[in-house]
Amino acid sequence: MSENLEHSFVKQLTDNQNIIHKICRLYTDCEDAHKDLFQEITIQLWKAFPKFRGDSKFSTWAYRVALNTAITLYRKNKRTVATVEYEGRQHFIKEVDYNYEEEEQIKLMYKAVYQLNDIEKALVFMYLEDKDYREIAETLGISEVNARVKMNRIKGKLKKILNP
Amino acid sequence: MKELDLLKKDWKKNENSFEQISEIEIYKMIHKKSSSIVKWILIISVLEVLLWTLISVCFNTDEYLKKMNHIELVSYFKVLTIFNYGVILAFIYLFYKNYIRITTTVATKQLMKDILRTRKTVQYYVWYNLGMAVLSLIIGFVIAIAYNPETSILNDQIAHNGKVMAITIGVLFLTTVVFFGLFWLFYRLLYGILLRRLYANYKELKKIDL
Repeated sequence: MSENLEHSFVKQLTDNQNIIHKICRLYTDCEDAHKDLFQEITIQLWKAFPKFRGDSKFSTWAYRVALNTAITLYRKNKRTVATVEYEGRQHFIKEVDYNYEEEEQIKLMYKAVYQLNDIEKALVFMYLEDKDYREIAETLGISEVNARVKMNRIKGKLKKILNP
Repeated sequence: MKELDLLKKDWKKNENSFEQISEIEIYKMIHKKSSSIVKWILIISVLEVLLWTLISVCFNTDEYLKKMNHIELVSYFKVLTIFNYGVILAFIYLFYKNYIRITTTVATKQLMKDILRTRKTVQYYVWYNLGMAVLSLIIGFVIAIAYNPETSILNDQIAHNGKVMAITIGVLFLTTVVFFGLFWLFYRLLYGILLRRLYANYKELKKIDL
């Protein structure tokens, strides 16, 4: 493959890498696994890149390949535990208007999302990314109505996890 | 859901908080080897095809048949061999076609379907070969009884003694069952480990659309 193609790919991926980081954040629970999945997604994106025509945005195209890799192609090296503490991975600078109660709730929410299965996580991920149901349905290969129904069920499931 | 909105707010706020990976590191990454299940399926499939093709090619029955002094058997087996090669070629073509169809740019459900289809192709090929192996075993046994002069004493015994016949058939049957059982177990283990997650996710996706 030509160097130009490689350069163009690396440039675009570097600029759009947060998409992949976000997926890794949902699908992995430690830094090593995060890196491992990031690498596999990068390889799969690169493999699929010659077919990327540029008629859609790089980011839109990357979403699909990255999600597919996380859900379908990626082989977890170690058995992962769903209920891992999320706090350890958060190095975010605390805001001035730090709201303890809200922060606690967010932590619990992240934990709850970790307990969902791969498909449910994908729906939540796209929901968090403000994707509409048409795009969610298209990405996963299900009908739009059913994507909506499923999302409502997931909300119910999350509620149950939060208030057992 | 209030909590989900809260999560979304936090999600967006922290969108750019990830430790960034440099261009140089990404360059390095794209030259590394993938460890995806598709790659594993390809490796295992190629090995399976090679193994079974080798077995069926090496399993040369000509010499054995010539000894039987029945020329018509040789031509029957020629037909079978040609048929077998045809199946191998057809299979390799199908496998290749299914394999190159696998691409990460399609919908998740389609991708899973494509992977499973590729996997199934190999599975069918293996079952075909197993079936052929058993068939050969049975035909070989029949030929040995009916035509082979070297085993004529045994043949007489089998023909005149119900007990010997029952034991012979029993042993053959048992061998076949054990043979198949071991294969089944091996496949369950191998692909169970490799595809468990994929099957689970595929089932989940299909359930959504029920």
